[in-house]
Amino acid sequence: MAEKKRTQVEDIDRSMYDFRYDDSDAEKLDAGLTPEIVREISERKGEPEWMLEHRLKSLEIYNSIDMSDWGPSIDGLDMENIVTYVKPNTDQKSDWESVPDNIKDTFDRLGIPEAERSYLAGVGAQYDSELVYHSMQDAAAKMGIVYSGIEEALHGEYADLIREKFMTLIPPTDHKFAALHGAVWSGGSFVYVPKGVKLDYPLQSYFRLNAKGAGQFEHTLIIVEDDADLHFIEGCSAPKYNVANLHAGAVELFVGKRAHLRYSTIENWSKNMYNLNTKRCRCEEEGEIEWISGSFGSHVGYLYPMSILAGRRAKASFTGITFAGRGQNLDTGCKVVLGAPETSASVETKGISKDGGIQTFRSSVVATPNAEGSRCTVSCQSLMLDNRSRSDTIPAMDIRCKNVNIGHEATIGRIGDDKVFYLMSRGISEEEAKTMIVNGFAEPISKELPLEYAVEMNNLIKLEMEGAIG
Amino acid sequence: MGTHALTIKRASAMPAPTWHFLKMNDTQIEIPEGLAVAPSVKVSEPWRARGAADEFDNALADAQEEWEKLHPEPTPQEREELEAFTRAEADATYGGTAQSNYQIGADALEEARSLAVAFEHGVGEEAAAYLRFAAGERVVVQTDPGQSVEAQVVVSAVPDALSVAAIDVVAGRNSSVSLSIVVDSPDVPASAGASGFAGTTVRVFADADARVSIVRTQTLDLGFTDIDDMGLFAHDRARIDVRQTVLGAGSTFTGLAGDLRGDSANIVVDTRYLGHADQEHDFNYVLRHHGTRTECNLGANGVLAGKSSKTLRGTIDLIRGAKGAQGSENETVLLVDEGVKNKTVPVILCNEDDVAGNHGATIGHIREEQLLYLQSRGLSKDDAERMFVGAMIEQAAIDAPDEESRAGVLRLGETVIPGFAELFEEEA
Amino acid sequence: MTSNILLACHGLSAVVDEKPILHEIDLEIPQGEVHVLMGPNGAGKSTFGHVLMGDPVYEVTAGDISFDGEDVTELAPDKRSRAGLFLSFQAPVEIPGVPLRSFLRAIMEGRGEKMKNKEFRKKLQALAETLDMDPAYLDRELGVGFSGGEKKKVEMMQLLLLQPKLAILDETDSGLDVDALSVVSRGMELYRGTCDGTLLIITHNTRILEHLNVDRVHVMVQGRVVAEGSADLIAEIDANGFERYEAQLDA
Repeated sequence: MAEKKRTQVEDIDRSMYDFRYDDSDAEKLDAGLTPEIVREISERKGEPEWMLEHRLKSLEIYNSIDMSDWGPSIDGLDMENIVTYVKPNTDQKSDWESVPDNIKDTFDRLGIPEAERSYLAGVGAQYDSELVYHSMQDAAAKMGIVYSGIEEALHGEYADLIREKFMTLIPPTDHKFAALHGAVWSGGSFVYVPKGVKLDYPLQSYFRLNAKGAGQFEHTLIIVEDDADLHFIEGCSAPKYNVANLHAGAVELFVGKRAHLRYSTIENWSKNMYNLNTKRCRCEEEGEIEWISGSFGSHVGYLYPMSILAGRRAKASFTGITFAGRGQNLDTGCKVVLGAPETSASVETKGISKDGGIQTFRSSVVATPNAEGSRCTVSCQSLMLDNRSRSDTIPAMDIRCKNVNIGHEATIGRIGDDKVFYLMSRGISEEEAKTMIVNGFAEPISKELPLEYAVEMNNLIKLEMEGAIG
Repeated sequence: MGTHALTIKRASAMPAPTWHFLKMNDTQIEIPEGLAVAPSVKVSEPWRARGAADEFDNALADAQEEWEKLHPEPTPQEREELEAFTRAEADATYGGTAQSNYQIGADALEEARSLAVAFEHGVGEEAAAYLRFAAGERVVVQTDPGQSVEAQVVVSAVPDALSVAAIDVVAGRNSSVSLSIVVDSPDVPASAGASGFAGTTVRVFADADARVSIVRTQTLDLGFTDIDDMGLFAHDRARIDVRQTVLGAGSTFTGLAGDLRGDSANIVVDTRYLGHADQEHDFNYVLRHHGTRTECNLGANGVLAGKSSKTLRGTIDLIRGAKGAQGSENETVLLVDEGVKNKTVPVILCNEDDVAGNHGATIGHIREEQLLYLQSRGLSKDDAERMFVGAMIEQAAIDAPDEESRAGVLRLGETVIPGFAELFEEEA
Repeated sequence: MTSNILLACHGLSAVVDEKPILHEIDLEIPQGEVHVLMGPNGAGKSTFGHVLMGDPVYEVTAGDISFDGEDVTELAPDKRSRAGLFLSFQAPVEIPGVPLRSFLRAIMEGRGEKMKNKEFRKKLQALAETLDMDPAYLDRELGVGFSGGEKKKVEMMQLLLLQPKLAILDETDSGLDVDALSVVSRGMELYRGTCDGTLLIITHNTRILEHLNVDRVHVMVQGRVVAEGSADLIAEIDANGFERYEAQLDA
């Protein structure tokens, strides 16, 4: 890839400046993934027939659509290798064995059944949340809440419901990696919160590898019925034992009437990860989705949680932070569809780039003709920590309704020298001062997180800021 | 000789594209077959024969030399250091930052170190080249250092024809140019339903300390299509003001690109548009900050009524080295009727830390505090919205720089609001 | 009450964001009189003006407002305006893109007054002269870049143009600006002189009242009308301030 870049730089003319429209690399990517492999996956999982059909259809779509031409390059991703992620009997199976002993011990002590172990493998010990999970299981189950692996749920009580909802928010036709996900998805969670049930502590899910080592394609399906309430936390904290380099998960969230869901993510994948995750939520009348999203890890990130406000007075909020350091190109943001009367959405994001890192805020706000009386505000601030880095803001709005209020504001800049000087004049080192200011910049996001995650985020920032000077 | 049918794809493309499903990345211009090529351009004396046709290119070539002296190429040693850094980065970070196509292109463009290559046309090279071809002779408005001139170019579109002016403005050091461009279809009977094509392609070179002001007023009948293409180059401390008033034509393509190359260069764009009936407006702005302490201000104010639609792409690019640059972009759109469509994408691209970029957009109905005020004076919401439509035209008439522009506005105003011209009869 | 009561509110209470801000206000203004509403900062005076005009920010939770014999409590602000109510804004908004002249014509047309354009122009010209306003402002965007004094002139110009039955002048801040003060005084004088208008002046600065024959004074503290009286109250408040009323309420 690096060599390719250089040749382009040499023969410069106007036409090369437009070369971005050339997709010539795209079609070669798909060799290696065959219907046979997909059938094998399905068979091993003992899935219902419809799921196999879904997979095969998705594979077809995957092979027929191009990779997008506007985002970070994925040329460095060896798509041939996808097969090795999804094919049974690869060496990834041994990953459970390489999970540090102390984590395994924790599970043993908690008495998580043997069968569930592989499903839970991948819990990061640093969050120290195992106990929370355990106690939650009992209490939540009594309330009728279902929280299980989605594969097992496919055979359980909610099988029909899953079939009805599965990949309806994220159809395989949506983009190339949604199609790939549809073909090879594996593992993930299913959460069902019955009508009127309000859980007042969060459910948590962690990055996990399932037995076949295909956790990079996990599918999360959450249904929050009318008047119910849930906070779900997804932690993707740098699993050091992870050798994978592609994550194409999918998260589908259904929020019923007057229901409320908060979905928090702190993503800190190791920096060889291509994170092409897709997350979507549909809210019915007066339903509310709150996204909290922190993106710190990954080599390449494409992440735009989408809120579809389908019912009258449905609400969405998105609070996000993205920190792109050395070698990272993180293209993040969100999508909002104001699709019913009197809906409202607010988006607040912060982006930080440093050491040649690239962070792009990308969004789309669409107001359909029946969004009468809806409103949306987008506010986006970017901080450049040096001039080797890049920070782009690309917010699109498509408004087709008269009586709406759509506001957008964005600012970009750097840490004020005066602020650094002020702190230094009080005896604080330059690095500390800058870390302090960046933490302050991130504060509106971290204050939305549970304490342990907020602390984790501040640590991540501190870590990223180390050596920021000079 | 008539035109051949031609589709110009990816016209007015934004530099850093986004999702294709939004259909906002660029637009398409269809030139129909069989239009007579009839410039119908009138240029105020004495500027018609003033400058030589290659004046602009020469000025840019001189600027290139000057620029290179001030911005020497990296020495082999510097280059080696940079490459070492890139290699180290690649080794440490899985092949280096995985840039997007746009980002690779942007870096390559800077490495080319060519002002001519960097010079852009707002609607794109292909459309601009076509307009140049259609215009035939180029109007060159050139000033000597310290001089001050006013010029006017009137494009009077006629039915079934392609009426285009190609204009170069080459403003010498510390000189001042005011250019009024009038694009109107004065002789078309309103009822005729005539169709045709009009357009201008303008290149501006503003040398150090020059001031260039361009006011373009477009009041074509709805059967016409208008292409307004501009490419601006601003040298040290130069200031370029552009005001575009877009009231007429069934479909319009407005594209403006500017290179703020000189230190402390300043570009201000003030766009006002009215969408009514089935009008489709397309705007594309690309402002590239190269010089230190450069400033740009993009302002767009519009009212969309009827079944009209509008797309606006505004890109401010704060390029590495543009220390102290400030770019700001502000858009207000009032949506008056059901059935209007408004697309907006205000982009800021940035790879220099010592800058300030901001943008804001307000889309929708009248702000609550404004509405309360208007209501307290007896206007219903509907009255207030109608008032904005009329006010847009009225403001254009008040601000019209010359009689021809004003006559066009009044003529168009009369078609939108019967009795409109009477409002101005004292002054008109 | 007698039929010459122009404005009356009874037991009027209002809240903003569920926070009570006006409490059971009773107040009546007979046709042709000049009333003054005084009170310390934050007493709710401006809010009262806005509630009378129907500002949707405030929610009326009890009581009613009748104007010119009609219950207007539920009426939209534009309907109230057309019924003859006028509120001058302490801080008139800016409306970019709308020339002052277009706006003035729109509000006249809004109440069905079709005037020949030439006549209308002449009228505006004359009003501008009376108010000592540069006619060039008529072609400028409403409020954009106007000074405080110029904004006041625009308010007074509308007052004289619309000739409402009742003008509520929110002049809480005018006392701070000598120019604005004289503009408002001139406006009130002309309004009273030309159409025998009724006035409710909201202020805590008595200088604005110097050349006016005030009929009645209402004192508002903490969202309540705590005292009413003749013009003599003004001098009394000038000398002693509002402490007495505040103490009375706190007790």
